[in-house]
Amino acid sequence: MSQDPSTYNGGSAVAMVGKDCVAIASDLRLGQQSLGLSNDFEKIFHYGHVFLGLTGLATDVMSVHEDLRKKTNLYKMKEQREIEPKSFANLISSSLYKRRFGPWFVGPIVAGLNSHSGKPFICGFDYIGCIDFAKDFIVAGTASEQLFGMCESLYEPNLEPEDLFETISQALLNAVDRDALSGWGAVVYVITKDKVVKRFLKTRQD
Amino acid sequence: MAGLTFDNYKRNQYLVNQAGFKPPKATSTGTTIVGCRFKNGVVIAADTRATTGPIVADKNCEKLHQIAPKIWCAGAGTAADTEMVTQLISSNLELHSLYMNREPRVVSAMQMLKQHLFRYQGYVGAYLIVAGVDPTGPHLFSVQAHGSTDVGYYMSLGSGSLAAIAVLERDWREEMTKKEAMDLCATAIQAGIFNDLGSGSNVDMCVMETGKDAQLYRNYLTPNVREQKQRNYKFARGTTAVLKKDVFDLVDVVREDEVPVGPSDAMETD
Amino acid sequence: MSINALTKKYSYQSEADKEIEGAVKDFGHLVPGIDNMSPSISLPPISKPTAFLRANTDDSVNPDCKIKIAHGTTTLAFRFKEGIIVAVDSRATAGSWVASQTVKKVIEINPMLLGTMAGGAADCQYWETWLGTQCRLHELRNKERISVAAASKILSNLVYSYKGMGLSMGTMICGYTPKEGPTIYYVDSDGTRVKGNIFSVGSGQTFAYGVMDANYRWDLSVDEALYLGKRAILAATHRDAYSGGSINLYHVTEKGWVYHGNYNVGPLFWEIKEKEGSFNNVKS
Repeated sequence: MSQDPSTYNGGSAVAMVGKDCVAIASDLRLGQQSLGLSNDFEKIFHYGHVFLGLTGLATDVMSVHEDLRKKTNLYKMKEQREIEPKSFANLISSSLYKRRFGPWFVGPIVAGLNSHSGKPFICGFDYIGCIDFAKDFIVAGTASEQLFGMCESLYEPNLEPEDLFETISQALLNAVDRDALSGWGAVVYVITKDKVVKRFLKTRQD
Repeated sequence: MAGLTFDNYKRNQYLVNQAGFKPPKATSTGTTIVGCRFKNGVVIAADTRATTGPIVADKNCEKLHQIAPKIWCAGAGTAADTEMVTQLISSNLELHSLYMNREPRVVSAMQMLKQHLFRYQGYVGAYLIVAGVDPTGPHLFSVQAHGSTDVGYYMSLGSGSLAAIAVLERDWREEMTKKEAMDLCATAIQAGIFNDLGSGSNVDMCVMETGKDAQLYRNYLTPNVREQKQRNYKFARGTTAVLKKDVFDLVDVVREDEVPVGPSDAMETD
Repeated sequence: MSINALTKKYSYQSEADKEIEGAVKDFGHLVPGIDNMSPSISLPPISKPTAFLRANTDDSVNPDCKIKIAHGTTTLAFRFKEGIIVAVDSRATAGSWVASQTVKKVIEINPMLLGTMAGGAADCQYWETWLGTQCRLHELRNKERISVAAASKILSNLVYSYKGMGLSMGTMICGYTPKEGPTIYYVDSDGTRVKGNIFSVGSGQTFAYGVMDANYRWDLSVDEALYLGKRAILAATHRDAYSGGSINLYHVTEKGWVYHGNYNVGPLFWEIKEKEGSFNNVKS
């Protein structure tokens, strides 16, 4: 069956901004077209205090993650500090655009707080590195259209961390339930200046 | 372009040709952009919608890019290409002006852009309106992805260019004032916003006048403000069933590791 | 008064004949004669309708086709000592879009016959309803209920006459007649028609077979058999992206079919996982 490489394995992610906090979430499915292979494929990674959601072709998701891990480690050694969200976004952008004519089939989203100002930051990318700076929410993956719909209706600005968790969780859950290639569990990170809360959600398993 | 790698090219060609995959869609600006000269300056304007296929990916993106302090450019086409090509030429132009010890010129930016785009045979999908003021006066050019360029007193580009050019053709006059040029550009962009499905949201504008700093008007007009929601869908805490919860002190841990950098040594990062 | 009208007025007409006459009036265009039992379907005024249809609806031929016909399903039916169990999921997909989670994939052809739906939803629904009409006409003409063999053959002959024109169905015709006992025929749009004990059809069939092959016995009790049907579909909805939603359960007995409820996979999965201690691939 003829298909788009970025829908071969399935999977979705979403990030939202709240009051002095950000949240980022993904599903856990790794499939091979219709066949579900794994239900513990987390698509959220972190590099210091910056979080990254990586959807798309799973082999590229892992390659890009390893590449960014290398680059952020070198950055840390050179700068003697962790990379900040905005710099990390530009790092991803240039890393992806470098492969403009032989791209990685990924849909990354970034979420984090600036460690000095505590200012929330989120952004998303297309697969060749065009940054989408959004003030409210960012979506990615095979359920991105459903996520757009959920977020446009559920999102409101300045949510407290606990309320942001409910909003992002419900947006993700109800979006992936309308996508055959996403689901099979979900993980949600809520990031505030003094702690990060990671929750696994109870979801439908079909 | 310096540093482009083609490592995955063969694999992806296989994926497309042999395995029957089709390449995913990149974000496109979808766009209405215009530029217009006035008495002693030039103004460019753009809408703020970015699309992936039929989906509005970004409702308030920035299509006005700075090449030099007084040279700005509006981009249409593949969003990543307009952004990156503009950044590349911006940095090369800066080096060039440092080397020459002269203010950068709009023709130089235009020449560097067209030579770069020509080399990539149109595969770098950037369609630009380049404008600015330099010691030789105000200038307005357009650059096509294949490398051709145009000079003009007024011009429009992008999927909404037809709507915009209609307005420009109807209202443009020689020797307009700054105010008149700004109004004309805003009207032309609005024609795109309302009549072209690929364009939408707000009007961004940049005015460059000889002897003055360039002025960027981010969201010069916001004719599509979303109506405030009457009620909300806030969920009661505890709505979502949680299987497992972990708490980390990630940010704190990171801060303890942090080694202070002297203010003079600190690199400008953000 | 014409001689025809006179004969009609004074001759005896049975209730059955009246109904046939009514049916012929209502469905006359559907039942012109024995040699042609199918309705005539109008074709679009273009040179090659079948090629046109394939190019625009068959995503295996043209992935960019604009009309995506709903595919993806798990259905099963098996024979056992006490009759037949029919179980199906309820998800309809168009590409990866989950179009519905509440599709009725068991078609109640008549109180004695069930048909399952896999492939084109419209094809299955239309032709199996049509099959119900044919079965009723058979009863009226022959004063005897139609056999499962005959019913399934009407359907298979019909789909065969449309072979290569884009019909897409994979169905199990299930019924219980005195002379045949509990009987299942698998009929698909290629024209295949086979009798058997255990069938599963659809994108999730392999997963359902896996569960059925491991736990099936001829002398299953009714409760055990119903559970097996439910459990097999559950396994399929879990692994197959294009199956899910809820499970519909039927038991076919000599008195006709009995509906055994709708089970939402969402809560059912966790309930069965906890009770059986199964699905250990899923963390709880």
